[in-house]
Amino acid sequence: MNAAPALAGYTAVVGFAAPRLLLRAAWPHRAPALAAAVWHALAVSFSIAAALTAYSLAVPAEHLHAGLVGLLHTCGLNVGTGQPDPDTADRLAVGVPAAIGIALVASFAFHVVRARRARTQHREAVDLVGRHSAHLCATVLPYDTPAAYCLPGRRPRIVISDAAVRRLTPEQLGSVLEHEQAHIAGRHHLVLAAAETFHSVFRWVPLARHAREQTALLLEMIADDRALRSHSHEALATAMYEMAAARTPKGALAAGGQSVLIRLNRVLGPRKAPHPALWGSVAAAAAAVPLLPLLVACPPGLG
Amino acid sequence: MRRLGDLEAEIMDRLWTWNRPATVREIVDDINKTRPVAYTTVMTVTNILYTKGWLLRGKHGRAWLYTPVRSREAYAAALMEDGLGESKDRPAALVAFVENMDEEEIAALRKALRNVSRQAKEVQ
Repeated sequence: MNAAPALAGYTAVVGFAAPRLLLRAAWPHRAPALAAAVWHALAVSFSIAAALTAYSLAVPAEHLHAGLVGLLHTCGLNVGTGQPDPDTADRLAVGVPAAIGIALVASFAFHVVRARRARTQHREAVDLVGRHSAHLCATVLPYDTPAAYCLPGRRPRIVISDAAVRRLTPEQLGSVLEHEQAHIAGRHHLVLAAAETFHSVFRWVPLARHAREQTALLLEMIADDRALRSHSHEALATAMYEMAAARTPKGALAAGGQSVLIRLNRVLGPRKAPHPALWGSVAAAAAAVPLLPLLVACPPGLG
Repeated sequence: MRRLGDLEAEIMDRLWTWNRPATVREIVDDINKTRPVAYTTVMTVTNILYTKGWLLRGKHGRAWLYTPVRSREAYAAALMEDGLGESKDRPAALVAFVENMDEEEIAALRKALRNVSRQAKEVQ
């Protein structure tokens, strides 16, 4: 039996229907780390399912080919090759899934290396221009707008403008620095690079687009939660507002501003972790989803 | 051992603070007030900064006079804009605390913040 139709159906469900379902759910913003894991599990599952679909589509090509040649033969026509070449189908069956795997790995390496090079260059310049503050554990740059960002990696830096140091209260400043520290400690740039990779290989799949956008937002929420462990909600929310308001419009297109509003409402709103039963079942599903395509490809009942 | 980058920063810091062209000798003498450093080391590192495009130089008699290409503030502004994602060719390497927003979104933020502070007062 050939599993191609079932696999193709599964791939379509994961790539097109699953993201819509996940976007509509209420729990992801309450458990951002779990939600990020689910997005990544779906991406892995989709990649495996796509590779297996390509494999099972290539395998019957051999039978089809043999059947076609056999038919022509019985009709009295002698096809030049005579024997069907099973090698071509085999090569295709292995080649296409391998190409998907190689594309993903190569693209991830490319993203990580390119981003690291950009950060190294940026860090060296920041070290020359800025003044390191041992008290803040951050590099302060002279800039008249309150702003902060981080350079993750092996030699991380938190960069903050002197306007932010002057205008924010120590409590607000602490929450911003804690938020950036969370990005660095959590190696969020690698998670982001993985989402970016999946998007660059499967650009036309809705799952890829949503996974990239949602991963970025969820990582911010994870960092917000980390900052809230040691700082008040008001401090983080006010710092967020101060920085967002100071940076408006510079003529450029304001993209993704909506996510700050989502984050602010989330920080200020009532906070309730999802029920442990829901959490547990989602976590189990996230762990199982990457294995599902294998189950679809070789149903145990049909062993 | 001090890293090369530290000496680079010390040299740039002095040139930006003095805000005038200076010779390697002047820089060495100033650093030597706090710690010993060899003239040749400073000369080498200054030359590196020149080849990296951070410094301009012009001959004054027999000595080279060095000046920063741009002010500290100009470099800082360019770096900040790069870090905050306002420059065009930015790979997603840096993570800014908040991204750009338009007027409407800022108004919505302000409203959300005001609502909460009002609720907090009512509770007290």
